[in-house]
Amino acid sequence: MKKVMIGNHAVSWGVQRSRVEVISAYPITPQTQIVEELSDMCADGRLPARYIKVESEHSAMAACIGASAAGVRTFTATSAQGLALMHELLHWAAGGRLPIVMADVNRAMAPGWNIWTDQNDSLSQRDTGWIQLYCETNQEVFDTTVQAFRLAEQINLPVMIILDAFFLSHTSEPVDLTDQEIVDEFLPQRVAQYKLDPSDPHAFGALVRPDAYMEMRWQQQEAMRDTLRVMPEVDEAWGALTGRRYGAIEEYRTEDAELLLVTSGTITSTARHVVDARRSSGEKIGLVKIKMFRPFPTALLRSALAGADRVAVLDRNISPGHGGIFAEETRSALYDVPLEDRPTLFGYVLGLGGRDVTPSVIEAIVDRTREAEAPERQDLWVGVEL
Amino acid sequence: MSGHSCSLLFPVEDDREYSMSDYQGAQARWCPGCGDHSVLTATQRLLASEQLKPEETVFVSGIGCSSRFPHYVSSYGFHGIHGRALPVATGIKLHRPDLHVFVVMGDGDCTSIGAAHWLHATRYNVDMVALMLDNNIYGLTKMQTSPTTPEGYRSNTQPMGSFLPALNPIEATLGVTNASFVAQTAEWMPAHLYATLEAAYKHNGFSFVRILQRCPVFTGDIYQDAVRNPDMIEMLEHPDGVEVPDLHQIYQNISRHDPRNMDAARELAEKMDRIRVGVFFRDESRPRYEETRHLPLHTTDEKIGILNEELDKYAV
Ligand SMILES: Cc1ncc(C[n+]2csc(CCOP(=O)(O)OP(=O)(O)O)c2C)c(N)n1
Ligand code: SF4
Ligand SMILES: [Mg+2]
Repeated sequence: MKKVMIGNHAVSWGVQRSRVEVISAYPITPQTQIVEELSDMCADGRLPARYIKVESEHSAMAACIGASAAGVRTFTATSAQGLALMHELLHWAAGGRLPIVMADVNRAMAPGWNIWTDQNDSLSQRDTGWIQLYCETNQEVFDTTVQAFRLAEQINLPVMIILDAFFLSHTSEPVDLTDQEIVDEFLPQRVAQYKLDPSDPHAFGALVRPDAYMEMRWQQQEAMRDTLRVMPEVDEAWGALTGRRYGAIEEYRTEDAELLLVTSGTITSTARHVVDARRSSGEKIGLVKIKMFRPFPTALLRSALAGADRVAVLDRNISPGHGGIFAEETRSALYDVPLEDRPTLFGYVLGLGGRDVTPSVIEAIVDRTREAEAPERQDLWVGVEL
Repeated sequence: MSGHSCSLLFPVEDDREYSMSDYQGAQARWCPGCGDHSVLTATQRLLASEQLKPEETVFVSGIGCSSRFPHYVSSYGFHGIHGRALPVATGIKLHRPDLHVFVVMGDGDCTSIGAAHWLHATRYNVDMVALMLDNNIYGLTKMQTSPTTPEGYRSNTQPMGSFLPALNPIEATLGVTNASFVAQTAEWMPAHLYATLEAAYKHNGFSFVRILQRCPVFTGDIYQDAVRNPDMIEMLEHPDGVEVPDLHQIYQNISRHDPRNMDAARELAEKMDRIRVGVFFRDESRPRYEETRHLPLHTTDEKIGILNEELDKYAV
């Protein structure tokens, strides 16, 4: 069934199709519509889940942790300040190996107060142990939501689905809502390996001494390494049923490309147009979209980028004191590429706080990357200094 | 909050007179008919009547429609973090006791995400005025159930209506150990609102004022009857609380309530038959957190002197 809907509702429908059992959330712009639609679905019976209304995001994540530990499928959604307030519990969800799924609508952090899109909220949670999947279209948002539950439950790690504020959250696009029977085939009911069960009592969250703590982290890291393998499998299983697959990264018109753009989120769609236009005038240019940021698809990126002359990474985020976060992670992925194959990397910081990234902005980046002798600095600020 | 402003006790160096317009900040952008406008006007009137210097006055808020308040007052302002206005204000007041600190919060800001701070700020009893603008809803995020939303009231997060009885902020504040000033007023009763703000400002300690506030956009019906029918209101009056004789013609349910009487205050707070406005409780003798700050008895040089003297006793 195809329906025209905003990105926020594509998340809600993904959650509905996934037969989530417990939802807990606190409102924040631009996420609120996700949970408002879900509370409607719970109220009118489209989704027989429990909706727990709480007094803050901290409590929302805590409620999800409790419900997930009790063995049910749980979901929450937030943005920016709300995600930051959850920080302590994000570590808890991942360390507790709970397959919670959360949607984060990328919004700029305050101060200054700003409700527009910016990736610094989700990227600030990089090291909490959550899988992070960035989306480009509303269809991808729906598909990723359903996939996220299967991935999370297979690997016992929480998954964050990330979509751009307004450009996706509030923009309407047609979305194919996969039939329930197909989703059911893809995503059976959760069977928790470990759960709070009065008939088989266990305690969670005990003190772990130095002699075992490191092993716990090791297991988490192994699960992340497994995710590099399992995520494409899950994607492929979904693709076999629906014809839609995305990959951990996507290579777009990369064959024989001398210059490659690296993007994530909705900037990707704009960049595709620029690549198409340049290709039709004979330029050897392509695009690599990073969908999965954690675990970082190092090997895939390395093979996608090696051999190009130049790579321009477009970052709607900044790690203060370092550079654009995708650029720096990509740079380190390229370290092991032999020098003769290693492209020169240009890191562009742009679009912070929702500033528009138009085709002409990307055109200018392409021209500059071609013409410059070398990057002047690791982070080049588009619209500020360029 | 006490009125021991330097400008009131001592001759003012600049003998400038402040009028209400001196406290006018940016143009208020609340919706037409929003009760927040009335609170802003009453507050600016208080600032002018107390001649508070804008540079010695701070408005601290959280996030919400009501929390835009500091932008609209020409003074120092901190439009901060959702739910965290009280600890920010506490930090300001403890370090700068000479400043007049006002806190503006919404019902969500104060009783939901910031509830822990509300409880502790009440107990700390730091000298400041805390205004809770209660429209019974999350306004800024467009109509989600808040803790004070009436039972059964429909919202975007509880489309079948809120299932629990609404939190009673007066009852809750009175329940906190060391509460020292607890009052309720309504923005559609400007004379009462003003008198309550004045009493809160003059109180030495943490003055908590819940202001019933109309949000015509999302909860327009909640206070409608009470606005039209003065019979639904009861004014609690006392020389130690507030008395507004000008309103006696309109609001004829008037009862004398001694704000020293905590038991009576709690009983009145629990009663839901009418909306009660006035000072429920006030006790200036309650200890204030700032009084626990001691200045060191000796300077560093003095301490070294004393130590040396002691050590000299054991000279070999
Ligand atoms: C940590 C965090 N969570 C959520 C929000 C979104 N948010 C902003 S204001 C608000 C509620 C406002 O309600 P209230 O305090 O009653 O103020 P009103 O707008 O009604 O005056 C919410 C949920 C936020 N800014 N920060
Ligand atoms: S939404 Fe309601 S509370 Fe917010 S400004 Fe408008 S009337 Fe006031
Ligand atoms: Mg409110």
